[in-house]
Amino acid sequence: MESASIAAGHGHAEEHHGPPEAHQSARIDRTILGILLFILSEVMLFGAFFAAYFFIRAVANDGPWPPVGIELPVMIAGINTAILVSSSFTVHYALEAIKHNNHRGLKLGLTMTWLLGATFLFIQINEYVHIGFTPRDGAFGSIFFSLTGLHGAHVFVGLLLLTFANIRAYRGHFGPDQKDHLGVEVPGIYWHFVDIMWIIVFLAVYII
Amino acid sequence: MTRLPILKLALASLAAGTVISVLMLQIDWFGDAAATAAGPIDLLMDVTIVVSSYIFALVCVALGYALIKWRVQPGDEGDGLPIHGNTKLEVIWTVIPIIIVVALAGYSWAVLDDIENEDADRITVNVYSQQFAWTFGYPESGNKWSEGELHVPLDRQVDFQLHAQDVIHSFWVPEWRIKKDNVPGITTDAIVTPDEAGTYQLICTELCGAGHSTMRATVVVEPEAEYQKWVNGLSQNVPESLLLTADQALEIEKQIQEKEDGIEGTGVDET
Amino acid sequence: MAMAIRQPGWYRGAIGMVLGAAFGFGLVIALRAISGLELFQTEQTGYPHVIVPLITAPFGFLFGFGAFDYWFRWAAGKPTIPDDHSAHGAYRWQDYFKFNTDHKVIGIQYVVTTLCFFLIGGVLALLIRAELAQPGEQIVAANTYNGLFSTHAIVMIFLFIIPIFAGLANYVLPLMIGAPDMAFPRLNALSFWLLPIAGIVFLGSFLAPGGAFDAGWTGYAPLSTGAPLGQSFFNVGVQFAGASSIATALNFLVTIITMRAPGMNPWRMPLLVWANLSTSLLVVGATPFVAGAQFMVLFDRILGMNFFQFLEGGDVISYQHIFWFYSHPAVYIMMLPGFGIISEVISTHSRKPVFGYRLMALALIGIVVLSYSVWAHHMFVAGMFSWLRVPMMITTMLIAVPTGIKIFSWLGTLFYGKIHLYSTSMLFSLAFIITFVVGGISGVMLGMIPIDIHVSDTYFIVAHIHFVLFGGSVFTIFAGIYHWFPKMTGRMYDERLGRIHFWGTVVGTWMAFVPMHWIGMDGMPRRVADYASVYGDWNLFISVSAFLLGAVQLIFIYNMIVSWRFGPKAGNNPWRAHSIEWQVSSPPPVFNFDEIPRVVGGPYEYGTPGARHAIMGGETAPEELPEPEPATVTSPS
Ligand code: HEA
Ligand code: HEA
Ligand code: CUA
Ligand SMILES: [Cu+2]
Repeated sequence: MESASIAAGHGHAEEHHGPPEAHQSARIDRTILGILLFILSEVMLFGAFFAAYFFIRAVANDGPWPPVGIELPVMIAGINTAILVSSSFTVHYALEAIKHNNHRGLKLGLTMTWLLGATFLFIQINEYVHIGFTPRDGAFGSIFFSLTGLHGAHVFVGLLLLTFANIRAYRGHFGPDQKDHLGVEVPGIYWHFVDIMWIIVFLAVYII
Repeated sequence: MTRLPILKLALASLAAGTVISVLMLQIDWFGDAAATAAGPIDLLMDVTIVVSSYIFALVCVALGYALIKWRVQPGDEGDGLPIHGNTKLEVIWTVIPIIIVVALAGYSWAVLDDIENEDADRITVNVYSQQFAWTFGYPESGNKWSEGELHVPLDRQVDFQLHAQDVIHSFWVPEWRIKKDNVPGITTDAIVTPDEAGTYQLICTELCGAGHSTMRATVVVEPEAEYQKWVNGLSQNVPESLLLTADQALEIEKQIQEKEDGIEGTGVDET
Repeated sequence: MAMAIRQPGWYRGAIGMVLGAAFGFGLVIALRAISGLELFQTEQTGYPHVIVPLITAPFGFLFGFGAFDYWFRWAAGKPTIPDDHSAHGAYRWQDYFKFNTDHKVIGIQYVVTTLCFFLIGGVLALLIRAELAQPGEQIVAANTYNGLFSTHAIVMIFLFIIPIFAGLANYVLPLMIGAPDMAFPRLNALSFWLLPIAGIVFLGSFLAPGGAFDAGWTGYAPLSTGAPLGQSFFNVGVQFAGASSIATALNFLVTIITMRAPGMNPWRMPLLVWANLSTSLLVVGATPFVAGAQFMVLFDRILGMNFFQFLEGGDVISYQHIFWFYSHPAVYIMMLPGFGIISEVISTHSRKPVFGYRLMALALIGIVVLSYSVWAHHMFVAGMFSWLRVPMMITTMLIAVPTGIKIFSWLGTLFYGKIHLYSTSMLFSLAFIITFVVGGISGVMLGMIPIDIHVSDTYFIVAHIHFVLFGGSVFTIFAGIYHWFPKMTGRMYDERLGRIHFWGTVVGTWMAFVPMHWIGMDGMPRRVADYASVYGDWNLFISVSAFLLGAVQLIFIYNMIVSWRFGPKAGNNPWRAHSIEWQVSSPPPVFNFDEIPRVVGGPYEYGTPGARHAIMGGETAPEELPEPEPATVTSPS
């Protein structure tokens, strides 16, 4: 089945203006595989910070966690979690919509996702301002701000990607074929990752 | 296809390995030994050198033989035999190295247990390190304190408690074969039983800044009685600040910080 | 001029850089003003108004240089020009100084740039050796000395060994698997341009107040968190170099997985492809850890965080765990591509299939898996959890097994072959086998805890490092450069000079690094500017040998430059090799192939009459050839 892609009798006289089409040796799309591998390395970056978290919490300190005098706004963060999780559904909806050539649904889904993401980031920043301790306050402050901050940076990047997707959606790009809506699918995958990562960060930092 | 002279190759490797290991063992690898750990460690090293010599010899003999035997004649444009592999051989050279390394690992583990074995009558000595000086406390002698010079009794196990005030340093006396990092914030330990009286050098082996090369101290191993006399003759005691645990140090740090914050209004704040 | 400024290129890049720097500087000042802080913070670990521009200026440069033009158009929903190949191919030497997306151009950009860094790293090494030639202070003070070996190691590791392998593979790998280019050509170009940036940041630290970063290439906290400004350059430079290698690795993985020519199933991939697949898995999985570790140090330094501040509840040893979780795999990142090169060279020049091909590929994967589980062997004496030592000792020593499989299989490849020694690449490959075994075995000794307790942080380690890195990686790099030089340039290098270079390098390496084993065991610690005078003679010997070694490299450089310009034409396939890159012209056409070749057999079917690896486009393609019967040796005894 692999040799089937060779076009028989492709003459040499024909002028070539570009490279030949690469043979597709795996079923997965290149861009999708690319983003998945990128996410793998992102997971490892978080892994480094979780390793630091483990050492600070379990090895270097045996006092209460969070340290006495620090009160985390678990409630607000919980609501924020709900906001972010729901944005995973809207981005999924957008993708499903464009698969059925529903451009209205696509735009609706993408816009909703963007707004939810922005709300999350806004609440997060607000939380930073009012939280009552700073990154300089002990190792707890460092790990709290860097884990949530690293995640926040990823939300920001995700929003950037979604912005591009939105622009293109409103310009009428994208279509039901997979190659025509990679611009939605790829940011979508990234967004799901940002979401799942948040659940882990939330559990590690606020809950357990 | 010619048959390999397996026996000859094996004999050649053995012979070469023996020659190499004899040569290698001629070298005085470690210099002097002055602690009980040195014996087992040096022996382990010697055994490893011998094993390695044979492995190295095998590789050299095989390579040399191939070069002599199958070096192409000038003008020969042909190809070699299309051999793709040989399962039996491949299994052999997977399994034998596994056996060798597992054996060496087991041996190492035994040696490790041996040299870290704690005697009941060991004494404790505190080793304090900071850029770029060593100081020593003798808790069993009323926390006497010596700077830049460490004394320990002969033939008595010493449990060194290692502390660091600023960055990581590392405690190493080559003749004792023992090394351990001094890590700020925690206490690590090194166990040594000196068995040769004399004067040695304590070397810092973890990069600790500009003075790292010069961070040395003198180590004197002497009979118990002389050691006791020397310790009792020390005039200073370990300073309070060195005896603090990390938590206490933190507390003090905080108080200093608060004081500084108090005078902040004067505009000396630098951040 | 106005035109030149609007076009992507060096002018716009320079402007972008200035704007980027100004933006970063302004941002810091503005934020500090808003928060009511003093505008400039010049505590030695601070200097945010230097560090932030250090990050933003390169981005400004890249914007200006044209790295993001396509993506901007795409993001803005403007029409992109998918078949615009104006950034492809090199027709004049100036084309090598552009944002070029051709993998062959990028490959050459990589190799040339990294060789320059090799010279810089080498000169730093020679300065080290000059200082160490005799006990006492020779040419530099102790703290400058610390800066020398730190930058030496960083330049060699992050700017030479790791990227030059990426460069060589960039050139040959797409050709080998029958792909017209890498999967993401623009990302590929971006990866390359991040590299000189990283280099400038690292070397720029020499200009920082307090001197170059000097906490060793390992940058252990808390020495690094309290070090002068130069250390922040290190933290930032690692991010650029790391991003570059992650992006390349990702590109290789996607290319290898999705763009192989029809018929090239995994068991028909040349071992170089396998090697780069394994390496890329290591890079993608491990490099983020070093990025994380350096972020934490940077945060501690300029934001006042407390990851490693023991008085504030931070954990000092955690730095080492995180660092070595990357840096042990990193040593295989620096070795596996070399293993791939050796397989290609040895098979070609002994005219035989690689012995035990499948096990060779599996051994690579085995090394990848094991190498994630051995990091703490660098910490046997660091005061970490003592229970972790024995498990790590065992996994560490087990790595000898897959590595041994590779060594023995190369030897097996030589047996019953027709060994040609006319090529310098083959000479380096054979010397590599012998030299690397020595370095590998000293590694196994280090893996044995009681021995490591004694020799850790001594010159024994320095000996191990250079035997595996110089006798290992660098030898394979030379082998690779000599092997593919005719393909890359279309010309032949001078074999006679190649031989002089070879013998000088091998002898120099052994002379310079063998004695380090003894003086280390005997009691000379590493990273010292001064040492006990008993080691004076050996050190003098080592220094002289090192200068010899350095001098020989000049012959190599001369040979490369002159042969590139004036060498005799090489022909398409001077080594009569089977893999695809040798079936195209030298240098290959701009788009590699007119038609994607079709793979019909293994890459090393030497000696099987009529066996083919690939059928090139335009050839009258016979039907798929039957898989040649794998001949087996009659059992050896
Ligand atoms: C290319 C780089 C490279 C490679 C390939 C290796 C390979 C190995 N290294 Fe090395 N190592 C470094 C680069 C490398 N190392 C560097 C840079 C450092 C210092 C970092 C620093 O502190 O600055 C270091 C430090 C280092 C240490 C820490 C020492 C210390 O600081 O105290 C240890 C300890 O276990 C170690 C072990 C090993 C082992 C077991 C291998 C194995 O992979 C080797 C396997 C190979 C063989 C064994 C040879 C071939 C095999 C056979 C012929 C089969 C038969 C053999 C047997 C049965 C034994 N290395
Ligand atoms: C990839 C790796 C690599 C390579 C190739 C080298 C190559 C060399 N290294 Fe290096 N080295 C390391 C990686 C490497 N090193 C590492 C990781 C460390 C540990 C650092 C640490 O402790 O943090 C180290 C440390 C280290 C030390 C120990 C410092 C100490 O602990 O105090 C020494 C000392 O002798 C040394 C020497 C050398 C020498 C002589 C060479 C020679 O092979 C160099 C050969 C010389 C040249 C290649 C120069 C050629 C150029 C010219 C002759 C000039 C021409 C100039 C122009 C054209 C402009 N190295
Ligand atoms: Cu203290 Cu080095
Ligand atoms: Cu390692």
